[in-house]
Amino acid sequence: MHDTSDASSFRHQGTHPPADQRSPSATVPALGSASADAATAAMIAPARTAIRLTVNGVRHRIDVEDRWTLVELLRDHLDLTGTKIGCDRSECGACTVLLNGQPVYACSHLAVWADGADVQTVEGLARDGQLSPLQQAFIDHNAPQCGFCTPGQLMTATALLNTVPRPDAEQVKQALVGNLCRCSNYNAIVEAVVAAGAYQGGAA
Amino acid sequence: MSAAVQPLTTIGHVTPRVDAIARVTGQAKYTNDLKLPGMLYARVLRSPHPHARIRRIDTSAATRLPGVRAVITHETAHVVWGAGAVAGGRQYSDAIKERTRQRRYIFNNPVRCVGDAVAAVAATDRHLAEQALALIRVDYELLPFVLEPEAALAVDAPLIWPEGNLCPDVDNNCAPVVSDHGDIAAGFAAADQVFAQRYDTGFVHNAQLEPRCALAHWQGETLTLYTPSQGIANCRHDMARDLGLEDHQVRVVCHYMGGGFGNKNQNQDADLIAATLARHTNAPVMLEYTRRDDWLGMHGRWPTVQQYTVGVTNEGTVTAIQLIGYSGMGPYRKNAGGISGLELYACPNRYRSITPVYTNRTTSGNFRAPSEPHGVYGIQSIMDDIASKLGMDPVAFTVKNMLRPTEEQPFTNYSLDACIQLGVDTFDWQARRKVIPGSDAGPIKRGAGFSFMMFRAGVGTSSAIVHVDARQRYTVFVGVTDVGPGAKTTMGMIAAEALGVPLSHVDVVSGDTDRCPYSVGESGSRTTIMTGMAVVEAVQNLQHQIAAHGMPTGNDVFVASATPAPTTDGKARQCFGAHFVEVEVDTRLGTTRITKYVAIHESGRIINPQTARDQIRGAVLQGIGQALHEDLLYDPASGQALTTGYYRARHLTHLDVPTIEVHFLEVDDGYGPFGAKTIGESGIILAPAAVANAVCNATGIRMTSLPMTRDKLLGAMA
Repeated sequence: MHDTSDASSFRHQGTHPPADQRSPSATVPALGSASADAATAAMIAPARTAIRLTVNGVRHRIDVEDRWTLVELLRDHLDLTGTKIGCDRSECGACTVLLNGQPVYACSHLAVWADGADVQTVEGLARDGQLSPLQQAFIDHNAPQCGFCTPGQLMTATALLNTVPRPDAEQVKQALVGNLCRCSNYNAIVEAVVAAGAYQGGAA
Repeated sequence: MSAAVQPLTTIGHVTPRVDAIARVTGQAKYTNDLKLPGMLYARVLRSPHPHARIRRIDTSAATRLPGVRAVITHETAHVVWGAGAVAGGRQYSDAIKERTRQRRYIFNNPVRCVGDAVAAVAATDRHLAEQALALIRVDYELLPFVLEPEAALAVDAPLIWPEGNLCPDVDNNCAPVVSDHGDIAAGFAAADQVFAQRYDTGFVHNAQLEPRCALAHWQGETLTLYTPSQGIANCRHDMARDLGLEDHQVRVVCHYMGGGFGNKNQNQDADLIAATLARHTNAPVMLEYTRRDDWLGMHGRWPTVQQYTVGVTNEGTVTAIQLIGYSGMGPYRKNAGGISGLELYACPNRYRSITPVYTNRTTSGNFRAPSEPHGVYGIQSIMDDIASKLGMDPVAFTVKNMLRPTEEQPFTNYSLDACIQLGVDTFDWQARRKVIPGSDAGPIKRGAGFSFMMFRAGVGTSSAIVHVDARQRYTVFVGVTDVGPGAKTTMGMIAAEALGVPLSHVDVVSGDTDRCPYSVGESGSRTTIMTGMAVVEAVQNLQHQIAAHGMPTGNDVFVASATPAPTTDGKARQCFGAHFVEVEVDTRLGTTRITKYVAIHESGRIINPQTARDQIRGAVLQGIGQALHEDLLYDPASGQALTTGYYRARHLTHLDVPTIEVHFLEVDDGYGPFGAKTIGESGIILAPAAVANAVCNATGIRMTSLPMTRDKLLGAMA
């Protein structure tokens, strides 16, 4: 499915889904227009769509408002608050989750677009109470400072390690370029991801 | 005294953070992760105009929207934000806040910058709150505006405050802030040559990754406020004052926060707006700022103009330094507006006049070492040029002129020579520096730069409580929050060392004013020194009890507390540093790449080598961002802010980042907890100066404006 030799392919995917996934029922009320009552009605009872998705191995069927982003669905309705909102506009990467194994900015991905998808968040990295090698490497190398970007860094790095098991520093930087760290703890984050590859002994 | 430090058991060893697992599993709860039953969501409406009088606000349509529970404006919520504007920019003084005349409210009329808060809405859903904002009709009378400090002082400039645009000092007098040492005229008379240069520096946003938010919850007349704070005790006191409560009626809680970098050791308008909405609605209110709200509604490093005049003898001794500076404070005086750096020189004749000026840009505030990086950039740029013109190595020129201990002003210890020498050797300064600046052939030019500093590491009062139970578990209560440097871990390590037990026997309780004693707050690089010292003394008190009574048994608990007031016996206590950087400038593209960076620091004894190193690395990279990219640009025609975000301000990404080499010279000067000194702010101070000097050494061109963006570099080389 992927070219395992090319770490740069793990940059964030575009935030727009294929046209056939877009919700036809999404309506944006025209504020200040003649149909103010209709607009108000749309605000009060926004369109909803039933979707199914799997999050960290748990299947959900849920009616989502068409205006909800994936990160809102995760944080507000599935109580998975590990995924953070730093900018809510595709700049910082704090909200990165894996959608069918690929890192996406969950702030810029509508929840309805995740219908049928397999989603992994930071809460899904540890298995049976065991930290993933990447999580352990983040601890050993002090990769979190304030920790707010950490979930996003972890998810993008997880996607990288799934296909490039032993990345070098340059490959890590390429892959994580969409995850900002204002504490600017970039050196430690890269060291942690490189070390995680070594911990894994090259196995994904 | 300054010999190599004695090894210790816990301190000085790489130690994972005590809350590391919570940070990598998503279990760490930040303010916006909290939910309370019946919680409402709130949003703020902001001014689209740089300066305007509000004639009328019509909130009726917003109020009618089902699900909207409250809409508040300057007409209905007349709350003074005491910490938002302080005479002289002097936070932490109730007396000065009391006599401050130019009051800032949570909603102001007139609005004085794009982004000034106009109204706030609480609703059952955040989307409803946003829609309600769109239904608020505001009738503005547009007023003329001014964006640049010097233009704001012109006689015909638009008045942002009736008294004029020169910010009042602590006594409400509108005058420049002057410090005058020695005899500046005699200093210039003694000079063989006099050099002058003007520099300007941009607004640098703190840009912490967690947007500002606040969750306010009233229970009767008691307010619980969950908020990302760098000072829960100060925040509590500010909230009580502004809301007319007693301190004990306010509880402030912050267990995790997504960065701060200064400017959060007070309450914030978000805290007051959330509390006001929660009172109006009788429900818990979560106020969330958008990223743009945070960029314009929060604060960053003040932009400056710096005009230096320096006298020097032909032998390279500086005889006089004069700085005439202007700091753009935005429309409210939140902090000082300082420009530091002159005091790094031994020259006795120093005159500094800084004029803090109101403008219709967003408000300026404290960002990590508030007065230093831009000031050190200015003074060490002109000194670098002077050394070059005198044919001296800038390092030799510095060693000749830098401040040293004197009989009148002894230091607890002094490591600047050692820091500089270690840097010269580690970096290979002689090999990397171009003796003739700009001498590389070809379009890509390399060069090296250097800068040096000392920074306050004074001791002071804070508090701690330690108790021990019959299981021999120790619990430390400290009113700190962990902004990111690892304060909880540091406090635990200091306690473990003082107790002589492993860190695993120590629990740290922090971040909650109802559970923890007063702490000074995580600003001014004070936590490790001041609250750490309180931990040491509380442990000593506990050990006296244990010595007298043995360890507690059964249900007994021994409790000890301390609020020490240490001094340095009249000595100056400073941390020291020297940075060396090599850059590669592509003169065709105007891009600057860092190819080597060596940071040497003496910060006393290092508590946790890993987190200490990363404080320096992160701070250096923030300083590089300030040097090369970050600015809040305004459109002069409209007064609109143009770079309100990470992409637009061009923050560093993984791909921009070089490896930062950090070396600590460890010293125990006998003060502070086990000899620890300041770290958090010190790392950011030197990067802009060092990078600017390296760019000059590479290109032969002095960049006099920060940030040194591609357009400025290409313009200077054209």
